[in-house]
Amino acid sequence: MRIEVSRELLDRQLLDVRGRLIGKVDDVEFALDPEGTPYLSALLTGPGVLGTRVGGRLGRMLALAAERFVTDRSLTPLRMPYPLVTRVDSAVWLRVRAEELPTSAVEQWLRRHLIDRIPGAGRASG
Amino acid sequence: MRKLLAATLGILSAVGGFVDIGDLVAASQAGARFGMAHSWVLLLGVVAICAYAEMAGRIAAVTGRAVFDLIRERLGARVALLNLLASYVVTVVTLGAELGGVALALRLATGVPYLIWVPVAGVAVWLVLWRIRFPVMERVFGLAGLALVVFAVALFWLPTDWAALGRGAVTIEEAGHGWGAYWFVAVALFASTVSPYEVFFFSSGGVEERWSAADLADARFSVLVGFPIGGFLALSLIATATVVLGPAGLTVSGLEEVAHPIVLAFGGLGLAIAALAFFAVTFGAALETGLSAAYAAAQYFGWQWGKRVSPREAARFHTVLLVSMLLGVLLLLTTIDPVALTEYMLIISAVALPLTYLPILVVANDRTYLGDRVNGRWLNTLAVALLLIIMTASVVAIPLAVGTRMGQ
Repeated sequence: MRIEVSRELLDRQLLDVRGRLIGKVDDVEFALDPEGTPYLSALLTGPGVLGTRVGGRLGRMLALAAERFVTDRSLTPLRMPYPLVTRVDSAVWLRVRAEELPTSAVEQWLRRHLIDRIPGAGRASG
Repeated sequence: MRKLLAATLGILSAVGGFVDIGDLVAASQAGARFGMAHSWVLLLGVVAICAYAEMAGRIAAVTGRAVFDLIRERLGARVALLNLLASYVVTVVTLGAELGGVALALRLATGVPYLIWVPVAGVAVWLVLWRIRFPVMERVFGLAGLALVVFAVALFWLPTDWAALGRGAVTIEEAGHGWGAYWFVAVALFASTVSPYEVFFFSSGGVEERWSAADLADARFSVLVGFPIGGFLALSLIATATVVLGPAGLTVSGLEEVAHPIVLAFGGLGLAIAALAFFAVTFGAALETGLSAAYAAAQYFGWQWGKRVSPREAARFHTVLLVSMLLGVLLLLTTIDPVALTEYMLIISAVALPLTYLPILVVANDRTYLGDRVNGRWLNTLAVALLLIIMTASVVAIPLAVGTRMGQ
């Protein structure tokens, strides 16, 4: 499959198999196969890699803001091996369910310390 | 019958999304000071919001993605982040102005001081967002907002000189206030009709209600009927202000003046209807701006958003919503005058307009997203012409505001 990384993958929405929103493709990772040919190995998502790509003071501020909510100071991104991708249209579809992937650290922190403490947090209002 | 009902409801949400505190203030001020001389601005604004909301709705229906979602792919991560920051500030200031409007409407109805109502309004808006279902919320406030039609009805009770009103609508004159003030009011009124949050909300709502290409006709119909109805209501605000406030030499410094013509025509009952209408449109707009602020952030970062999932599954989205609401309330608790806040809000909205409208036009012409449902030639000609007007308004907004000291 031919795909233009910067035009069709970067910054595109990631969806799980049922259409739950996972994050954006904040960066991609290349690796070398045994013959030394580079190939697209994984899609990355997380404020750390996004901050690096945005760059400058703005990017650093973004990463610093995210760091406040995590214990893992290196802001390890969520890494999705490229073979998990089933389809690329206006979004990038994965073959896994959101529950099988690690939840974003910021999301977890806010869920535990703020949202879950408000009555009715477990019920969708439609 | 069900189809008719669905169409009516779509129109209601469009009406609800159109009229807000910005229209109440800007339209009444325009009428009180310049008579009907700004009618063309309203017409232009309605055409612009119809054209661009149709594009945003089409993008949502065909791609299943909301406008802000796609902005980042086309502008790149960095420029889109700057756009997000600017749009967020404008949307939160708008939220503050709408909450101020809710509090002013409650004071009008109860006589209890405005500042007491501010936190009440903030909590009430947040509770509705936390608990009430999306379609219910849109329809209740859209329907109650239609009570604004009392302004059109009042024209028949008041000693309206229809011929003079009609002549005023087709002549452009500065009525002794100077052209600077005329154009300042024109920019504010234009910004109030094409508020960016209307487009964020409309396209995100489409995604949330899972529009598909099959819903395109319905979405288009809602836009093309609902927004003009909103425009008609705003026009009747200008007209009543022209007939009553102008000759009496009153200027608009609160919702009392906006309601004054209705009180004159219908007395206490009129006041009650006007207060209900003001409450409904500002409360509805506060819901929409609050959601829009959170939508913009969530869609930039790719977070789970929306009201179809439980808040704990969209913790970052709901945190932004909560923080935005808090910022809106705090902004008002600085005891800033809510009408002045609305005027500032309209000016910064005008400056930020191209940030929303340019990307929509770009995506609406992108075949990788829309296939053969990209803009046709006529729509593009119209859209480019409107974008030029939007950019002009954006460029002249600050110089006009400074040069005329906010339209003095």
